[in-house]
Amino acid sequence: MMLNKKVNYRMPRNLLVLFELMALLLLFIYDKENIDKFTLISVISLIFIIYISNFVLLRISTGDNYIFLIVTMLISIGVVMIYRIDSTLGMKQVIWIGMGILVFFITYLLIKRIKGWENWAKLYAIISIGLFIATLILGTKRKGSINWIQIGRFSFQPTEIIKILTIFIISAYYSNYEKYKEKKYGPYYLMGIIYIFIAFLFLQRDLGTVLIFYSVFLALQFIYEENRKLILFNILLFVISGIAGFFLFDHVRVRFEIWIDPWKYIDNKGYQITQSLFAIATGGFFGTGIGLGHPDFIPEVHTDFIFSAICEEMGIFTGIGIIMLFLILVYRGFKIAINQKDKFFRIVALGISILFGIQSFIIFGGVLKMIPLTGITIPFVSYGGSSMISSFIALGILQVASEELDVEEKRYGEGT
Amino acid sequence: MYNIFSLIFKYIFIIIIYMFILSIIRLIYLDIKGIDTYSKDNGVYLKLVNRKDSLPFKVKEYYPLVGQITLGRGNDNQIILKDPYISKKHLKIVEDEGKFYLEDLNSSNGTYVNGERIMDVVELKNGDRIRVGQVEFLYVNREQG
Repeated sequence: MMLNKKVNYRMPRNLLVLFELMALLLLFIYDKENIDKFTLISVISLIFIIYISNFVLLRISTGDNYIFLIVTMLISIGVVMIYRIDSTLGMKQVIWIGMGILVFFITYLLIKRIKGWENWAKLYAIISIGLFIATLILGTKRKGSINWIQIGRFSFQPTEIIKILTIFIISAYYSNYEKYKEKKYGPYYLMGIIYIFIAFLFLQRDLGTVLIFYSVFLALQFIYEENRKLILFNILLFVISGIAGFFLFDHVRVRFEIWIDPWKYIDNKGYQITQSLFAIATGGFFGTGIGLGHPDFIPEVHTDFIFSAICEEMGIFTGIGIIMLFLILVYRGFKIAINQKDKFFRIVALGISILFGIQSFIIFGGVLKMIPLTGITIPFVSYGGSSMISSFIALGILQVASEELDVEEKRYGEGT
Repeated sequence: MYNIFSLIFKYIFIIIIYMFILSIIRLIYLDIKGIDTYSKDNGVYLKLVNRKDSLPFKVKEYYPLVGQITLGRGNDNQIILKDPYISKKHLKIVEDEGKFYLEDLNSSNGTYVNGERIMDVVELKNGDRIRVGQVEFLYVNREQG
């Protein structure tokens, strides 16, 4: 049994390296003249870093060994496609991935070493509100929503960090539920904070993120809230704010109209989504082959529409493969949550799994025109620094949650 | 030239991705099987007593006992424990007519059953504590009661 297991762990790791090396070989044939030393060295060192990280993680972590493997596969598929679309962006993405893996290990160590994460709900709330205010003051407007802060040459999306802080707030609240319940208005603290966040997001006109926040909050509340009426109330409010968003904001209404019938607006508003559908249809089962399709016809193809580009050039089979990888990732997340004895980390693991699941569902659905399109990135696959870093932070936390943590079982064992 | 390569590679990429997914699903399947059947079944198994994360090497919570099983540091054992205090071939557990017998294979640090170092072949009884190196196992045989 043990021997069997040892041989098997190597298998997916080697397949991953094989995939990456073949992609590199293809790149060599594709554009021999333009590859400089810097590109070559950084790509090879990235392959090496990914391999070593998978190897080291098996040694240092007693927890889950699959989530990092799955994520590195997703990253490899994504970066190959981004490099093919735009080689400068591809190089940037390679560097972001390297930083992301570093951040993953730092997060892993920090979260594991420092105790008492469940007691700092107020701190998380203050930092989040601070970031929201900073976004409103310093933020720049892109694609109809104010969600970027530009500092020097770098720009980042504070909401990516706030997502994780929100999960921490919810977890801290429900793991100290008994304490909060005794206070006056205690049961409404969490709701108050979440609705403040949602109000800020409405001010930023970032409605895709509102959807993510609301879904994570509702899902966790549905699992842990004892006052079931509160959940009904929140779902009602969710519907109302959806309708309000439709009537208040122009770009929501436009998105909705495009979703109903993109062909009517094919020459302007509906251009992006129709091109995406054409791309997926052109690809067929096995795709046109990397470098042989025209994913550059789709605007914003490297972030929101990376999935269509992958489907066009690598086939719908790869597309289904990506969805399956996300399925396994979310499944592992739920399993981690079930096995975790520490209540705080159990809720965090659930929250992060729901976050990955919802985020990928919204964008896959959007690109395939099953639900109205909202501009968010696919975690780990799309181009984007802040999204990559924050996804890796979330993954690092999930990795810690997958281990058996030293806690006094008396305090957290009850109410499980 | 490039087109031909690209056309071939797209099939290979899809095959690799699906083999990757399948191998992970297989690993997860083994993982789940390892947890569910051996903890709930009325089978015979060794259960780890130590906290899993207190040991600096890989060890599982449950080891099922079927037929003949050897334990040691070497890779040719059925139960491999990379503990420096465990010999390459440390001990052997043999099934004979429903009973299980433990035999130490001349290990340098010895095998302890319920605190006593064993010299000869010992018949295992439900609830026996077996200590090898830094690891302690509980022998569970529900059929014996």
